[in-house]
Amino acid sequence: MTVNVLGISGSPRRHGNTETLLDAVLDGAREAGGEIEKIVLRRLDYASCQGCNVCHKTGACIIDDDLTEIFEKIAGADVLVVASPIYSMGITAETKGMIDRAQYLWAQKFILKTLYYSAEHTRRHKGIFVSTAGLGWENVFDAAFPAITAFFNTTGFEYWDNVIANDLDRYGGIAGHPTALADAQKKGRDVVGLLLGLQAPEDTTN
Amino acid sequence: MTIDVLAFAASPRRHGNSETLLDRVLATMEEEGAAVEKIVVPEVDIRPCKGCNACEKLNRCVQRDYMDYVYDRIIEADCIILASPIYCMGLTAQAKMLVDRAQVFRSRKFVLRLPVVPPERKGKRVGIFISTAGQDWDYVFDSTIPSVKCFFHVIDVRNKDIQYLMVNSVDEKGAIDRHPTANTDAERLARDVVAYLREVGVA
Repeated sequence: MTVNVLGISGSPRRHGNTETLLDAVLDGAREAGGEIEKIVLRRLDYASCQGCNVCHKTGACIIDDDLTEIFEKIAGADVLVVASPIYSMGITAETKGMIDRAQYLWAQKFILKTLYYSAEHTRRHKGIFVSTAGLGWENVFDAAFPAITAFFNTTGFEYWDNVIANDLDRYGGIAGHPTALADAQKKGRDVVGLLLGLQAPEDTTN
Repeated sequence: MTIDVLAFAASPRRHGNSETLLDRVLATMEEEGAAVEKIVVPEVDIRPCKGCNACEKLNRCVQRDYMDYVYDRIIEADCIILASPIYCMGLTAQAKMLVDRAQVFRSRKFVLRLPVVPPERKGKRVGIFISTAGQDWDYVFDSTIPSVKCFFHVIDVRNKDIQYLMVNSVDEKGAIDRHPTANTDAERLARDVVAYLREVGVA
């Protein structure tokens, strides 16, 4: 039994606050026995959605680039961890560029009706959103959540939890935050533990 | 003096609903005597912000692309219009690239404490956000507004000088033409903004 954990970093900056927080989630997941893979979007070459709507008829995207394989990896993951810092009160253009490309799955689900995630599937697939913000405002992540919700819905993951830390300008970065990294590691451990528990065959408990 | 209008069509689809609505606004503004320029964002070379924060020291972006021109035009314009459809409950990735690159102005204003526009032009700029969405949910635009406000805030357009023209339930190409009020709303908005800019002495 394996729990595949796919982390996707949508920050343009390598090893910054968001990616460090993502790494902590992945470290925790690894400790708990998960198989970890991390994708860094800025290293990939991809186009955003062209709005051509061809997928509304065919269920497939006309673009074949580095994201094509990423969507295959997403389909094979049990835990999907999407990480983006907050830029201008939203997720980064890199992250949004990936999310918008999921339109072909949306089309399969809602137009062509060829894709259906059972409640059981969604229960066994957990999505985590990792984010950081320099600003201390409590609402600084609010505008990011709907796009993340849409992405997890489209890719068949239950939006399980957030791992978010704001006010990082004041803390001098993620390393200065009193609890964020430890909390992130725990979330990583917990989600893998939870899925391992769900995967255990129920008829062996007697 | 002529009113200078700078518009960004940030949909990847050419001549779709959000661009059509933008065109209606621009055509009316031209009729009213304004000079309009439309930049089709997916057709020019605008790359995403690298998050390097160099602009906090350099007061300019380290990237050399079409934004070099756009930065100057954003400062010159009296009215700046951003038009983006809603994709996955947010701005398009193309629009978000443009918004994130305005980080240069944020650094100028809040880190370096330098003016974005000369003091005499403050309060004499209008921002317009035009958006369309296929969904009929009344909250479909909500999560986009904070990024839009952020964009206009850093380029010295006051919150009260931002106008919104947002139309939901328009999905397939051309749907906007059949909308009962969108086009007259666009024309009225365009006339109101030009009249306002004249009133505050822009032209």
